[in-house]
Amino acid sequence: MLKYVLKRLLAAAVTLFIILALAFAVVRLMPGSVYDDPNLDQAIIDMLIERAHLDKPIHIQFYYFLKGVVMDKDWGTSVKVEPGVPAFQVLANRIPVSLQINLISLLISVPIGIVAGIVAALQKNRGADTLISVGVIIFISVPSFVFASLMQYFLAYKLKLFPILYQPSAVGALRLKSMVLPIAALSLSPIATITRYLRGELIEVLGSEYMLLAKTKGLGRFKATVKHAFRNASLPMMNVIVPMFANIVGGSMVIERLFSIPGVGGTMIKSINANDHSLTVATLMFYAMISIGTALLVDLSYGLVDPRVRVGGKKDE
Amino acid sequence: MNNQINDEIVLDVQDLTVSFRGFVGKVQAVRGVSFQLPRGKTVAIVGESGSGKSVTAKSIMGILAGNAIIEKGSILYDGDDLTKISEKQFQDIRGKKIGLIFQDPLSSLNPIMKVGKQITEMILENQKVSKKEARERALDLMRDVGIPDVEQRFEHYPFQLSGGMRQRIVIAIALANEPEILICDEPTTALDVTVQARILDMINELKYQKNLSIVFITHDLGVVANMADFVYVMYAGKVVEYGTSEEIFFNPKHPYTWALLSSMPDMDSKEKLLAIPGTPPNMLEPPVGDAFASRNRYAMEIDFKEQPPFFKVSDTHYAATWLLHENAPDVEMPEVLRNRIDRMLVEEEEYHKGRGEGNQ
Repeated sequence: MLKYVLKRLLAAAVTLFIILALAFAVVRLMPGSVYDDPNLDQAIIDMLIERAHLDKPIHIQFYYFLKGVVMDKDWGTSVKVEPGVPAFQVLANRIPVSLQINLISLLISVPIGIVAGIVAALQKNRGADTLISVGVIIFISVPSFVFASLMQYFLAYKLKLFPILYQPSAVGALRLKSMVLPIAALSLSPIATITRYLRGELIEVLGSEYMLLAKTKGLGRFKATVKHAFRNASLPMMNVIVPMFANIVGGSMVIERLFSIPGVGGTMIKSINANDHSLTVATLMFYAMISIGTALLVDLSYGLVDPRVRVGGKKDE
Repeated sequence: MNNQINDEIVLDVQDLTVSFRGFVGKVQAVRGVSFQLPRGKTVAIVGESGSGKSVTAKSIMGILAGNAIIEKGSILYDGDDLTKISEKQFQDIRGKKIGLIFQDPLSSLNPIMKVGKQITEMILENQKVSKKEARERALDLMRDVGIPDVEQRFEHYPFQLSGGMRQRIVIAIALANEPEILICDEPTTALDVTVQARILDMINELKYQKNLSIVFITHDLGVVANMADFVYVMYAGKVVEYGTSEEIFFNPKHPYTWALLSSMPDMDSKEKLLAIPGTPPNMLEPPVGDAFASRNRYAMEIDFKEQPPFFKVSDTHYAATWLLHENAPDVEMPEVLRNRIDRMLVEEEEYHKGRGEGNQ
């Protein structure tokens, strides 16, 4: 198991490095520069460019960048979005905001999705299942920002039930109230995905021979489903739920903008528009790390939950 | 072996008719099957894929798929008609009084639960015992079905066991509550031949030890010969011939039984292996007359028009073929089969001589 973990960690590190190199190169290939300001004196521009090593070839630039990251944990400094603030610090200020909303969204999505999935599977092709499945198709195929806009218009603007935008400075109930709409908009798609996936898995498991055997053991339908079907169906679910966290972070790029939430997603877009390269690379790396981290988590947790991986793995090593 | 039909009957299936609702219509899987299971005996139901044998077994266990309808008939067990009782009542019979061994041991165990736990679950669900007693019972059962190192195997997951071992676990589960009746639905089909023989021997041994009455479902006549006291040959949802094992093997009367027996591989013969031409009929619209007529080279005109009734061959042997009608031409079974049966009879005689008749 230890060998397996080390192997996975090494692979993750290599992947991260490749992403970092690509991100660094691609960002610098974009046209325009933050220093294209006609009001700036040419001498100052030259000085800034030299200080950021921008006059050197790209691989030398990358070397300086890597050196900064490794030696001083310096991911560069934001020059436009929040001038003078280290990119790392900019992110560190915003991550909690994104995380808060996304975590709540995930904590809501998973149980709702699981319950809906179980109901749909047990009621296969009956009323409840049809209703759930239609909802699932709508929520999966229509992008989240459409629902976000609709909710803003009807629930917030017309009915005045919630504030239209997120209110970071508000405290207590009002702040919570302003979080309701973004969280709802973020949760629809994950709920639908979990429901659809669990329904499919459960239907397959419920039709398996060991469920028949459970029935011949005299187990009732509910008991058999909980004891035998659910655990078997939920193993592949980890593949969906854990990476969902990364997806929710990514999806919030749009949602954060719509509700003007000062989170990581907005920073990404702002920094690209402003040619704030260091910040863009740092944000990209944040996303890459979350994705790889969750993938790693899935692989490792499989080993904990699935005896076929846990016990089977021992033999080979 | 002296089989008497007046043994005590533990399971009496009468005119069982089962259909499945499908998109294109009703599939008539079982069309009026009747058989009796005497106590302590084995009844084999033989037929090719789609003949309705597994559906018959599932009806007895009450585990038919949701779109199945039992149209008519009854399954009498211990004074109850199993086609009429509620699911709640059925839970007291299924697994406790009637055990089931599935076809595929690879998929009939829960892949992520320890096999020991899968056995104790059966015991704890149905008997009032402590967990520790259940464990002891499970270990005993595992020994009974010939599993070595039971303590160790108890903690294993299904994927760590071979197919034969897994089938033994399935059998142990089926026997956990000491059922009276055991239904074996092609229990050895998924196993290789050597394992198959061992499992069959074991089932036979358990039958005498625990006085089980067995319904044995298979497409493999070779397996039947060693297992069954009575054989029912099914085709297209109907029983076409039944009798004692000897009667079916040595004196078959129905052309379908002939075809089945001729298509069995034979080590001592240089003849080409015979296949039955054609395919089974579409059960959405079963043919009017004898369902086997279109594949039967002895078919007569009446076979296409009218379903033959059962003609009596002996007190225990009946066959549904017009060939047994008094007006039918004299048709003998195929030469190949005749020769084979004669050879088998000679072997059988020598075998008995060798053993001495005294111990019968």
